[in-house]
Amino acid sequence: MPDIIELSIVVVGAFLAMCMFSTLYGKSSPMYALAEESYLGFATGLTIVVNVLYLYNTGIVGIRAGDWVLSFGFLLGFMIVVRIFPKYSYISRIPIAITLGSGLGLGLRTTIFTGFLDQIRGTIIQLFSGSAKTLLYQWTIAICVLFTLPFFLYTVELKGPLGWVAKIGEYLMYISFGASFAQTFMGRLGLFVGFMQYYTVPDWKIPILVLSMIIVLALIVALDKTNLLARLTPEE
Amino acid sequence: MSAFFKSREVILTAAGLAFVATFVPYFVTIPELSVISTKLVTITALVNAFTLALAVHSQFMRGMYFVRRRSRGWILKAYMMVTIVLMVIFATMGQDKGPYNWVMLAIVNPLSSVNYGILAFYMASTCARAFRARNMKALLFLAAGFIVLFYQAPLTGSIFPGIEPVALYLTDTFAMAITRTFTMSVTLGAIIFGARVLMGKQPQVLGLGGE
Amino acid sequence: MSVSDEKEKSIFRYLSEYDRRIIYFLLFIVVVGPLISPIAMPISVSPDSKQYYDVLRTLGSNDIVLTVLDTEFSGYMELQSGVIASTRMIIEKESKMAVAISHPEATIIPDILFGALKDLMDAHHYTYGDSYLVLGYIYQNEASVASSAEDFQGFVRQDWQGRPIKGTFLEQVRSWKDISLIVSHTTGILSGSVMNHFALRGTRMIVNCIGGMIPGQKTYLNTGILKAVLPAMRGGAELESLIGIRGLGTKAMDAFTLGHYMLIAFIIIGNIGYFGYARPRAQKARTGG
Repeated sequence: MPDIIELSIVVVGAFLAMCMFSTLYGKSSPMYALAEESYLGFATGLTIVVNVLYLYNTGIVGIRAGDWVLSFGFLLGFMIVVRIFPKYSYISRIPIAITLGSGLGLGLRTTIFTGFLDQIRGTIIQLFSGSAKTLLYQWTIAICVLFTLPFFLYTVELKGPLGWVAKIGEYLMYISFGASFAQTFMGRLGLFVGFMQYYTVPDWKIPILVLSMIIVLALIVALDKTNLLARLTPEE
Repeated sequence: MSAFFKSREVILTAAGLAFVATFVPYFVTIPELSVISTKLVTITALVNAFTLALAVHSQFMRGMYFVRRRSRGWILKAYMMVTIVLMVIFATMGQDKGPYNWVMLAIVNPLSSVNYGILAFYMASTCARAFRARNMKALLFLAAGFIVLFYQAPLTGSIFPGIEPVALYLTDTFAMAITRTFTMSVTLGAIIFGARVLMGKQPQVLGLGGE
Repeated sequence: MSVSDEKEKSIFRYLSEYDRRIIYFLLFIVVVGPLISPIAMPISVSPDSKQYYDVLRTLGSNDIVLTVLDTEFSGYMELQSGVIASTRMIIEKESKMAVAISHPEATIIPDILFGALKDLMDAHHYTYGDSYLVLGYIYQNEASVASSAEDFQGFVRQDWQGRPIKGTFLEQVRSWKDISLIVSHTTGILSGSVMNHFALRGTRMIVNCIGGMIPGQKTYLNTGILKAVLPAMRGGAELESLIGIRGLGTKAMDAFTLGHYMLIAFIIIGNIGYFGYARPRAQKARTGG
């Protein structure tokens, strides 16, 4: 049997989770607003705590170990925070420029390969060697890529042979979207199944989950029938 | 002094130098430049963490707006701001056990899970109500979707093993190829956008278009 | 327009215009039902999961694995079967493991993860400090990832509890070259950055990702940058099946199966309603008949 702490965690968690699910009823409710503001507040607090620790572990500890150059990170960081004051927000432009520039350098130096050159190489290599299955796969990939690329040509009119290629590419895209939507649904379903598993394993959690569902549903229906739902729902 | 910070040339130079300092050492090994690059990258990591302060400030400002106006439900906005402060206080009491851990397990984690878990419902509803075989393209879409959906249900794969090669062919070729096309296009777009920013042709990004 | 404004009462009309809350209610039932009362349907193993399993099997006791928890807690709900099964294999191989986190909500996952594997860890004398370390939230952004790849010692000096990594197995990790394998459990926050700064340079990397990310990750698998991709919760269940345990993933597959069949059924029902009611009605309205 669970102790009082574990029990309270499950009771509060199940109730708030069902409050959040109440949006499926189709109307906004004060229960959903309570769950939403709870998550917003506590998650923001969590992010503050974790980021402060990150700054300490990465920055302060490094500076204490002799890496004084890292103090520039704090200087530039405070300059960005000055953006809160509109009169002095121009001070944040230089740190923004530096982070943007280095971020672009970091991103572009690798994305050129992983997102472009390696993708082209992966498409055209192995078109003439390998097993029958490999050849079928590679030729299908190559044809799909070539026939759908015209969609991203915005400065050329798609007519003549290019138009025909784009038309066939459209059909290939629909096949691919069908497969992709199925995989996306699998992902969404997995998220929900995983969440429900948390509240059905072990067995003692099940009555708490069911009771929370019933209480929240009863509350929302009662508020709706008595026309209190709109009146008690916070303004957005 | 303010003219220095507002100067277009200074800002573009800072961005350009930071770009060169992180981009060039990746391809050309110059020991001194590599050291500068590594330090600059760590400094950038630290600076990015500070941007959270701006988000928290926005959150508080928005909450205060509702509280000051006494809008319907303002108490919940006040509650939200109190919970931010409470969580920070709880963290100082220890993160292993105690109220911080309790809030994580009882509030943050379940609500985070529902946030995304609820998408299953919306997606199921959308799929059931919008996916109609109106024409050939929609029919192809549904056919491919059905085959992959059937395959993804583990029971089908064990009862009808023949569905696996068909479903894998659809996912490992068509789906992958289109994603590859999108990846290449997005990458090219990102490269061009980056070049435009560094050349000063996207002034708003660097805050040069006015505050 | 000569079509009657009165809607006729027919089964096709109902199948075309039913309340969407029926879908929500039935989805709840088909998911919660099998979780409460398992049916234990059989599952097959896909080539992707087998490939992931084969990569983990190559690990040895001298290898250093970087496990990246690149997920919110919500994503962990889908990935947990794969996370636990992967970590189980790493522990059984007695490889050294460092756990890095890229989202604040995931900071609690190591406690849950190692709590679930306590018995196995005791059996293999897999202890904190000697065998594994939790570095905590060190991957805040791409620059953090890049910094750790280029100068690991300069970026990571202590674990999440503030204890120095000097004197531990991580002392020998200077850069991306010294990591034997990266196992990324991801919802897409920084997996691209980890791939760009580690895998692209040559570090072996495998990914356990959510369903929506699979086509994207397969493009990198096809180019050889990634060595294996474990597809979401189903992949986790298949990995459990390969290592011979009946974990959370396997137990969830009944709900998984019924959820998929339910969606297929509703799409078919919707199309019956469309062809039996909505489409003829629209055609009548167009022709004025």
